[in-house]
Amino acid sequence: MRAAAAATTGRLAVGPSLTRTAIVLGGGAIVLGVAMVVAVAVGSVGVSIGDTAAILGHRLLGLPIPRTWSVGAEQIIFDVRLPRVLTAMLVGGGLALAGTVFQALLRNPMADPYIIGTAAGASLGAIAGLMAPILVPALAIGAGSSWLGLGVVQVLAFAGGLGTVLLVYAVSRTNGRVPVVTLLLTGYAVSSVLAAGVALLMFFSGQRLGAIFGWLMGSLANARWLNLAFAAPLLAISGALLVVRWRRLNLLLLGDEPASHLGLDVEREKLALTMLATLATSTVVAISGTIGFVGLVVPHLLRLAIGPDHRLLLPASILFGASLLALADLGARLAGGVPVGIVTALIGAPFFIYLLRRSRDLSRGAVA
Amino acid sequence: MAPRLRTLLLVFLSLAVAACTPAGSPSPTASEQPSISAAPSAAAHSVYPLTLTDDAGRSVTIPAAPTRIVSLAPSNTEIVCALDACKDLVGVTDFDDYPAQVASVTHVVIGGTVDVEKVAAAQPQLIVAAGNELTPSAVIDQLAQLGFPVLSLYPHTLDEVSDDILLVGRAIDAQAGATQLVASMRARAGALVAAVGSAERPRVFYEVGVFEGTIYTAGKDSFLASLITLAGGDPITGDPASTSIQLEDLIAADPQLILLGDAAYDSTITPASVAARSGWGGMTAVVDGKIIVMADDLVITRPGPRIVDGLEALARAIHPDLVP
Repeated sequence: MRAAAAATTGRLAVGPSLTRTAIVLGGGAIVLGVAMVVAVAVGSVGVSIGDTAAILGHRLLGLPIPRTWSVGAEQIIFDVRLPRVLTAMLVGGGLALAGTVFQALLRNPMADPYIIGTAAGASLGAIAGLMAPILVPALAIGAGSSWLGLGVVQVLAFAGGLGTVLLVYAVSRTNGRVPVVTLLLTGYAVSSVLAAGVALLMFFSGQRLGAIFGWLMGSLANARWLNLAFAAPLLAISGALLVVRWRRLNLLLLGDEPASHLGLDVEREKLALTMLATLATSTVVAISGTIGFVGLVVPHLLRLAIGPDHRLLLPASILFGASLLALADLGARLAGGVPVGIVTALIGAPFFIYLLRRSRDLSRGAVA
Repeated sequence: MAPRLRTLLLVFLSLAVAACTPAGSPSPTASEQPSISAAPSAAAHSVYPLTLTDDAGRSVTIPAAPTRIVSLAPSNTEIVCALDACKDLVGVTDFDDYPAQVASVTHVVIGGTVDVEKVAAAQPQLIVAAGNELTPSAVIDQLAQLGFPVLSLYPHTLDEVSDDILLVGRAIDAQAGATQLVASMRARAGALVAAVGSAERPRVFYEVGVFEGTIYTAGKDSFLASLITLAGGDPITGDPASTSIQLEDLIAADPQLILLGDAAYDSTITPASVAARSGWGGMTAVVDGKIIVMADDLVITRPGPRIVDGLEALARAIHPDLVP
């Protein structure tokens, strides 16, 4: 048993071959590029590929292309679609990465980025923000509803998600340790309390119920350059700090005790990983609502395809999560603007079941 | 099934606007007294660039007389068309049904969702949106950021519908038409209010819908409640936020007249089916057989130029002897 663990550790600590890395990440980058082009080029209003390319070249690269396209086409491509597609990619990549981390950290195949309270906390914050004009009439008029250029909704969702996880973590701590089971159960209990608050606000929401519902389902309809400017740096930092921790995540897969015997400061590492993954999740949730499924399933799909080594798994989850959500959001837009969470669950879940049934390598693919 | 469900949902949403718009909220165009105010000053032409304050308190600058207009609510479409600018509409909702000529205009709101790409493609010089989140405020912000003038309308009372018509009249340089329309609406409304004003006021329950056992009606201080008051009734109202009323509160309020707005869309709701509902049998209205199907629900709950038709329908239902 110990010998087997050491052998596995040895393999996982060295990482995959360079060729394999190049194939997986290169392939992922190509898929992402194709997804981006398709998602920007296609929408409810037809803009030709030539015009799309010319508009992007003109606006992004400053190329001196004579303006043959309409003002409307330029607004659609550059101000409506491009920020939305980029937001979808940031959100999809962030959720898949955080999901991979939480599944390894909690050694739980059901773990998703929201599992220890991010979703409930962010939802309560966002809905309080959506209801702010009713709860605090002074906010009802124009400028009062934005803070540092961001909406009250985004700020409260971000703070709610991050604050809830801090609370759950603090409550779960006993004798300087945070047992995984306690963390999961505390997260569940705190989430339940917050969910009751969400339900209460929804009951009194009146005409805002539609907006609240859309937020809970997860939607990218509110994607703006401004929101991207807020989210991109936070995600870049938390993402980079998570990706470089691949070796420690591989060790944690063995269990707290073996990892600690192999020299890892387990409690410190769990805290760092939880907070970084929660930072990424809260950022993403603030700009898109609670989009389900991506953070749960992309890590599983990739483990089935490329194995459990986090050196490859973490960057691959970013690339494929980003591609998946960009394409799912394209589907959502073409379906008349339904919340993207519906598309990911409706199409993604059966596909996931199909892969699970087909895979003979399930035991290796699933997290212990 | 799905399209029917969607239609029902839309109907419910549009009803909910009228049912839950609180009359007490601050509004720049508000004047609390219902019915007749002084006739507007002599019509003039609008001078562009024109800066107006809309019902959300936003300052909106319109650079030139708009000839490309997008309407994001059926009531707004009716206002634009009543001001003889139907030909200028380049985008409406898929719920628009009046006047008939709007059927050929591009739908930019589908299933209650604004397709921002389609609005941008239409390059409107004016967008008339609806307040109270019927047009989500995030969408209003996004359209304004794209550089389109967005005028958000949110009337809380009959009089504020007139104010909004005058506002749109200024926005699209149709002030003469707006003044004339408002004058005739106020004259008709004034005559109706005078006809029923001194009569005894029956307790009126207006059923907006019943979903999964929850009864939706006019919210306290809502547009619909104010309209029932003007029509000579004493409205039984629900919670101002959720616009629902609990059955026991309804029984305690004991309506003398039940008006079925939802029966206009759902043929399974009839006076007989309502009388047979558990717990409803003892209400005075049920005992007296005073349950009326409001086929005109649409004009009662749509805050546009036909709102006076809605007032008339309500007044006729409440006081059939006084309103021919």
